[in-house]
Parts: sequence; structure tokens; C-alpha cells
Amino acid sequence: MVLNKSTYLYITIFAVVVGSMLAMQFRTASSQDLPLPFDRVQELTIEKKQLEKDVTQLQKEVADLEAKLEEAMESHAGAAGALESELYKIKLYAGLLPLVGPGVEVTLDNTPGAELGYGENAGYIIRDEDLLKVLNDLRGAGAEAIAINGQRILATSQVRLAGNHINVNLTRLSPPYKIIAIGNPGALKSSLEIKGGLAEYLTEQGALVNVEAKEQIRVPAYDGSLRPEYARPTQK
Amino acid sequence: MRSYQWAVILVGLVLGIMLAAQYRVTREIQASEAVQRAQELSAQVEKLKIERDSFQKRVDELRSQLDQVTARPQVSEIKEALEHAIIEAGVSEVKGPGVEVTLNDSNVALKPGQNPNLYVLHDEDILLVLNELRAAGAEALSINGQRLLATTEVRCTGPTILLNKNKRLAPPYVITAIGNPDTLESSLKMKGGVAETLQFWGIQVAVKKLPEVTVPAYSGGIRYEYARAES
Repeated sequence: MVLNKSTYLYITIFAVVVGSMLAMQFRTASSQDLPLPFDRVQELTIEKKQLEKDVTQLQKEVADLEAKLEEAMESHAGAAGALESELYKIKLYAGLLPLVGPGVEVTLDNTPGAELGYGENAGYIIRDEDLLKVLNDLRGAGAEAIAINGQRILATSQVRLAGNHINVNLTRLSPPYKIIAIGNPGALKSSLEIKGGLAEYLTEQGALVNVEAKEQIRVPAYDGSLRPEYARPTQK
Repeated sequence: MRSYQWAVILVGLVLGIMLAAQYRVTREIQASEAVQRAQELSAQVEKLKIERDSFQKRVDELRSQLDQVTARPQVSEIKEALEHAIIEAGVSEVKGPGVEVTLNDSNVALKPGQNPNLYVLHDEDILLVLNELRAAGAEALSINGQRLLATTEVRCTGPTILLNKNKRLAPPYVITAIGNPDTLESSLKMKGGVAETLQFWGIQVAVKKLPEVTVPAYSGGIRYEYARAES
């Protein structure tokens, strides 16, 4: 068998190309074994669980409303009764009734002797933003009902700095701020005390922070009046 | 043809078949367990969403039926209180005049060395905007179609935000608020206000007053796992 130089060259090029294609193929094939879509599976699993809970709750809601509707159609007294019990349920959802349960008590206070100001050693004054962040962390950890110094936090509650005070539900609160939240005590506590979390940050700034898990706490009802002027339920 | 040419042809054929087999295997691997699981799950999630929405619709229907059958003057006081509680609780879709606030990440071109983190929208920014709107008397609020309850958290996770436990939203974020449109708008646009602060970082804030906006109901039931009514 006699080969000339150019044939050798062709065979070499051919072998190199095929070789690298094979190597690439093997690499892609083996990288597929990495748990790439794992996060998605986890996320979807959580979403599915949440949806299942939603569906169960809505099924209960449907059953409850069907019973009330039946009651309401029977008699006038029944109608009033059905409305009363529906009102009770919705008030519970809206934060217009007190709730009890396990949870945490968070106490936040200014550096002792601190005055409102940004001087070097002025100490730290708790600001509205700090309270907002505490509320948000507690909500994220599954808080079911929250109050600050006895003011129940509703869907429309604001937390605003006004001079030396913080207004919540248009009520002036002064420090120390005592935030109580019902939920899983461990989850609520660690949401604030996690490394690099809010409790650590505020303590470093000079604020006094204390988070205590409680077996039984009471979150009061919103005691102001609710008179929506602009919003109306859509009629269906 | 010389014999070595036959050899080359043979080698070429074998390699070609191997490559083709490899490609098929790779494709099969891509559709492997984890992916299949994810596809299965997302199909189930879609199904559950449809189920949830149909129950939600049924709840709405039943509520308005209850409203109709009890249309008597003797119970008007209870009915009024019920309506107010329903609006506050977020269990029903509500309509009214209000504003639509659109927030979007910064459009500032960063110079080298600048911290890009300062120019993206944070959960705190959204919290501040919501707080201003609440202070200005907003009666019902939603972000990208998610009703805000007393227990709604707003969490930044990478380029998206999470709220109401597992609802993931992507920018732009559109906050819808029902209330006095002028008061709501000026609460954000006042001098030294939130809009000005955010605009300093290049975050785009647009406020639009509207004669009627719709804030949807909370999708899903409200449930308490730890809290219970005081007896």
C-alpha cells in the first residue's frame, strides 16, 4: 500500500475533527447528569404544595358559604344569622378581631440617651424604615397577625416617622416599640436573628433589640374605624 | 479502488453511526428524570391553578348571592360592615378611582467602579412606595395583579421579587392603589419624597392617575395555622 503525503494530511485532519467532535459530545452528555433543573423542581414542589393548601381552603370556603346561603334563604332570622357569621369570619381575616396563638415578641429601642440626629455619637434612633423591614421579615417568615405597641397591622396600615414619634394607623407611638407576631415562633425568631439579619444590623447600629419566642400571645383587633370611600367590591 | 480507501470508508461509516447514536443519547438524557419531573410538576401546578381559580369564582358567586338574598333594610348595617371588612380583608375584587405606579430598574449607564447594586430596585424601595400610598389613604393595593394583604411580604430574589409566599413577579412592577388619585399621586411626587429619591438612583417611577382601577382579590384562601380567634 502506497500513500502519498496529501492522503496522510486528509486522514490526520479527518481524525482530529472527528476526535474533537466525539470529545465534545461526551462532555455535553456527562454534564447532563448534573442536577441542573433541581431548583426548578424544588420551586415547583413548593408552589404545588401552596396551591393545594389554597384549593383546600377555598373548598372549605365554598362549603361554608353554601351552608350560609341555604340558611339565609330559609327565613329572615336565618338571613341575619348567616350575615352575622359571615361578617365575623371576614372580620377575622381583615384584622378586625383579636387573635391568639404562639409567636414572638420583638422589642426595639433607641440607644439610651440618643437624640434625633446624625451626629457621630448621637446613638441610633429607630426609624420607620426599620419597623417596615422588621414587619416584612416577620411576614416573610409566615406571621399571621402583627401589632406594634397595640396597633394591629392591617393591609392598609402605614408606619411613618413624624418627628420623634412613629405613626401607625394614624396613632402616635413612642419607643420602645414592642412588635408582636403570631406564627411559628422558631421561624419568626430566626428570620430576624439570622446571621447578617436585621437584629444584628440594628444592634451594631446601637439600637436595643430583643426577640423572644412566646407560647401564647394576643394580637389585638384594629380599633379605628374603617370607612372606605373610594373602593367598591366588583359586582359579579 | 485501492484497499486503504475501503478502510477509510469503513472507518467513516462506523464513526458516523457512533456520532448519530451519541446525539440521540444526549437528547434522551436532556429529557431525563429531573426534566421530566419538572414538566410533570408544572403540568400539575397549571391544573391546580385552574382548579383554584374556579373555586375562587364560585366563592365570589356565592358571596354575591348571599348579598342578593339578604337585601332587606333591617340588615343594611351588617351588610355595610361586611362590605367594608371584605374590602380590607382583600377577599374580593374591588374597583375605584386611584393610581397606577410603575417602577422599573435603573436606566443609568454605569461607569466602571460604580456599585450596580445601588441602581437596581430593592424590596425596600417597594416597601417605601407602598407605605407612602397607605399613608395617603390607599384602600386596596396590588402589585402586578397580586393583592396585598396585612401579611404580604415583598422579597427581592435576584432579578425578581417574591410575594404572598410563592408568587414570583418580574419587572416592571405595577402597583395599583385605590383611593383619592390626587392625594396618592402627590404622596409619591412631593419634594424630597420617595419618587425623587428613587429617581436619583435612576429607578424609573411613573405615576398615572386613573378614574377607575381594578384591584383583584387575593388568589387563594386566607388561613391561619397558628392563630385562632380569642374565645
